[in-house]
Amino acid sequence: MNLIRWENTDPLEGFTHIQREMGDLIDFLSSGSRTEGYVGAEFPQIVVSMNKDNVIVRAEIPGIKVIDLDVQVADDILTIKGERKPNTGEGHVTYLRRERNFGTFARSIMLPEKVDAEKVVASYKNGVLTVTLPKAAEKKPKQIEIKKS
Amino acid sequence: MSNTEHPVVKKKKLAPDRCIVTGKGDWYYPLSDIYETPDNFTVVIDMPGVGANNITVDMQSNELIVNGEISQEAYTDEKLLYSEYNIGHYHRHFILSDAINRDKIEAKMSDGILTIILPKAEHVKPRKIQVKEA
Repeated sequence: MNLIRWENTDPLEGFTHIQREMGDLIDFLSSGSRTEGYVGAEFPQIVVSMNKDNVIVRAEIPGIKVIDLDVQVADDILTIKGERKPNTGEGHVTYLRRERNFGTFARSIMLPEKVDAEKVVASYKNGVLTVTLPKAAEKKPKQIEIKKS
Repeated sequence: MSNTEHPVVKKKKLAPDRCIVTGKGDWYYPLSDIYETPDNFTVVIDMPGVGANNITVDMQSNELIVNGEISQEAYTDEKLLYSEYNIGHYHRHFILSDAINRDKIEAKMSDGILTIILPKAEHVKPRKIQVKEA
């Protein structure tokens, strides 16, 4: 419990406090990203890139067990599903600050190319899921040998 | 809570003058949880993409400074088609009080999560006071 001095001689002292609170509020509102992240966006956030042979999809999903992660490819749709668990493992704890989120998630994306679903490789390292999807054979340019006759 | 939908995580960019810049690239503010157990305070920080070798945890006077660096070589031979997040380093600092035994701070990294265990100093640990019969 805080002890508050009762003889508050300066009547304007209260305003300093209000001013500071308003400043904090304006900082909070102008930082923006805290609220806009919950609207119209999905988890996990992904990056799709492509090189000569593969389509590569990356997603930042820190702290998930590989067993809780489910990656599926059907035709040209890639689905990433999983559950992030609150990982204290220490029984009852008192939270002082909580910014990290948890819960189930599922996300499907359409791939930019036809891929060979049999040869898809997924790896998980340092909290980043990388799915490497080899392009389907007919999509690769076929080198035609020219015979000299 | 098992069926709640996972809210999205948006990275918040940091102004570089607030970080100790050691490498090129942008700096981001990683999300963190802090919780208390009877013996420790634990700080959990999400730093996807950072390996145990690229992370530094420093104590400077009463400040705990965490820097995680990411190598940005991965995209060199790839064409980026669609991007929802940016890759960058992470920086965060915490002010520690006297309630922490600074000699026994431990940190471990697994699956992109840094866990820092800050043991409580003896004088703040909960203890039972024996009641004597008078």
